[in-house]
Amino acid sequence: MKFASSKGLSAVVAVAALALTACSSGSGGSNSPAGAVDGAGKTLNVLVASNAAYPEQQKTWMTDIAGKFKEQTGAEVKFETFANANEELTRIQTSVVSGQGPDVYGLGTTFTPTAYSTKAFVTLGDGEWEKVGGKDRFNPAALGISGPDEDHQVGIPFVSRPFVMAYNKELLAAAGIDKPATTWDGLVEQAKKTTNASAGTYGLAVAYKDNFDPWKFIWAMSVQAGNPLVDGDTAKLDDPATKKAYETYFGWLTKEKVVSPDSVGWTNSQALAEFAAGKAAFFPMTSSGSVPTLNKSAVADKYDYALMPVAAPGETKPQDGKEVASILSGDNLVVADYSENKDLAYEYIKLITSKEEQLNYQKIFGDLPANAEALKELSSDPKLDAITVAAEKSQATPFTGAWGDFQLGLMNVVVQSVPELAGGSVPDSALAQRLKEGQDKVQSSLDRAAKG
Amino acid sequence: MPINSREESLLEGGSVTVTPPRPAEPVTPTVENDEPGGTKGGQRRRRMSSEKNRPLWMLIPGGTLMVIIVVLPMLLGIYMATLNLDQYSLRRWVSAPFIGAENFVEALTGTPLIRAIWLSVSYSLVAMIITLPLGIAAAVATQNSFKGRGIVRSVFLIPYVLPAFVVATVWRTMFQPGGIIDNALQGIGIESGLWLNGPNSYWTLIIVQIWASWPFIYLLALSGLQAVDHEVHEASAIDGALWWNKLRYVVFPYLKGPLSLAFLIGMLHHINNFTLPFVLFGLPAPSDVEVLPLLTYVTSFQSFRFGLSAAMAFVSLVLVAIPLFVYLRAVKLDDAETPGVRK
Repeated sequence: MKFASSKGLSAVVAVAALALTACSSGSGGSNSPAGAVDGAGKTLNVLVASNAAYPEQQKTWMTDIAGKFKEQTGAEVKFETFANANEELTRIQTSVVSGQGPDVYGLGTTFTPTAYSTKAFVTLGDGEWEKVGGKDRFNPAALGISGPDEDHQVGIPFVSRPFVMAYNKELLAAAGIDKPATTWDGLVEQAKKTTNASAGTYGLAVAYKDNFDPWKFIWAMSVQAGNPLVDGDTAKLDDPATKKAYETYFGWLTKEKVVSPDSVGWTNSQALAEFAAGKAAFFPMTSSGSVPTLNKSAVADKYDYALMPVAAPGETKPQDGKEVASILSGDNLVVADYSENKDLAYEYIKLITSKEEQLNYQKIFGDLPANAEALKELSSDPKLDAITVAAEKSQATPFTGAWGDFQLGLMNVVVQSVPELAGGSVPDSALAQRLKEGQDKVQSSLDRAAKG
Repeated sequence: MPINSREESLLEGGSVTVTPPRPAEPVTPTVENDEPGGTKGGQRRRRMSSEKNRPLWMLIPGGTLMVIIVVLPMLLGIYMATLNLDQYSLRRWVSAPFIGAENFVEALTGTPLIRAIWLSVSYSLVAMIITLPLGIAAAVATQNSFKGRGIVRSVFLIPYVLPAFVVATVWRTMFQPGGIIDNALQGIGIESGLWLNGPNSYWTLIIVQIWASWPFIYLLALSGLQAVDHEVHEASAIDGALWWNKLRYVVFPYLKGPLSLAFLIGMLHHINNFTLPFVLFGLPAPSDVEVLPLLTYVTSFQSFRFGLSAAMAFVSLVLVAIPLFVYLRAVKLDDAETPGVRK
């Protein structure tokens, strides 16, 4: 009984809440534009993800930024946070439907296509780019998921979280390995050498139970093998390259036995903990967000980051032009179409994407700058070297409103295979069947996207 | 004005004169009986007038809220189910293309909806059937006072007080491969396999649901027990009834009302429980525990098929409402003359 009504109910409640916030924020007096943007008496509403790892620091950062913004424009900044992607989505939906809500949203990169497809956010023309400090102020790779093409961009890059591989220098040296492999096959060989199951040490730390990690592996390996999963209006989940990616990913546990059998129940943070305890030689698919954890761990002075392998499974070198080291990942900023404070919004974005603020943000939270100059300055830091290279060699996931279903489809194959994975082997027929089901679903989703 | 003031003074005077005898003569119930005796005629008059001219206007505040909060959103939901509403049409959702019953057809034939309903209802029923005796037993055990009863009663309520999110997180940690539960079972020689995926996950959900929800049955059973007249206990003792007969024929009839209610609310709560499976298993859910709330959630918020998920919600509402309706008629929960209620 609750289902049918609860959605509507929450919408009603949210709309009521929105109306209240709108009242409180719309109380600005009329201002004559004097020189730059005069925001005296106005309030800019900004929605950002709450930072679970650094909650106190985030509060300090917000106060700091709000102070600077007030100094520049005279306007207040009011921050709202969301705890997870679902809350974010609900917030966006109610705002989209009701046409009121935050002026600026911070969005995860993979969510940008979905946000774009709602057409509720400002498409940035030359004038808008100028107001946020110019397009060339940003790392070009980071713009890869701002919109479907150069002329239709909604997302302004804020930070990058490229994926890299952490490795334990001590374990590698003990196995006689001088540097991490650059191919997936090579990585497996190195993982075998560093695995000592009787001592509880394994070559790779992999989070098979994580809600996001698995699809990132499959996507990366597929792209490296020349299959970006979306080819125009055709989904390609049933491509042999994708099947091979799954076989490789599962094979680490079932065939090569280079990961802990317990990893079928691990999330990313548990795999990280395993690496931090010195029980794994490599921890692929991590980001600079792991720096604070690792610096306090048992491997604090024994670890380093390297690029993840760039040659697809079975290959010895990357396909030409497909040297993809990471998914383009991070946060974009979008400005709501309904906002009455657009100029203030641009001014705010200009402030927080400036070189100084971006470097400051990196220092506090570990996320890499999207600002090109700031990124360049960090590449001299030996710990961050590999991560900044990965930021430049990142490739965006396909820009389609159907991407949410792709992610879901890729993940579902892993989730339904976990029992067999734990049992020791995923039957070929079962894998093929799941891929086919997934393919049908994402294809119909892609068809809808083409119509929409 | 004079009439009003006299009435007021009468009322005041009445309350003043009525109160003193109570503490003074606590042992004579006749006085208390006398007191309503005066109003008995009034009661009869009120009942008669209530049948002729019921104060239906009193429904207005509640009814208005009900229309705004329940009926309108539900109608909107049904309307949504007939639209091709997704992220592409969300912004102007009123003008989303009307596709009639297509969403319903797709929900029934193209999605695992029927299976999800079966999983939801069956797991709820199993959990409920196991929690009922647990709750009743706990209520009966703590009915008579003993030293430390207050503490035991408080401890019993802990699972009910904890937020579902916390319960699920703790259980998830315990059910990890290589976690506490695996280790404990290994200690007695059982290789259990995975708990959070595969066929076992269905039972994991039931176990955690039982742990989290039995205090609710306990609470309602306890309230039922409190309603049992002291005289009834005495009478059955005089008649020489032994404990089981006393429970079976004297106490349990009093529990029928509260427990029927507990069964109904509990089932609805289990079927609608989103937090528990979501936190335990994550999304996408393993197919063995892809219960109704998870399915509608994924359809809405990961695939953005709002129309389709509204149709799913409506279909499941109907399918769940039919047996509930039958059940409601069977237990006559709306009848005021249940045994638990004193006449």
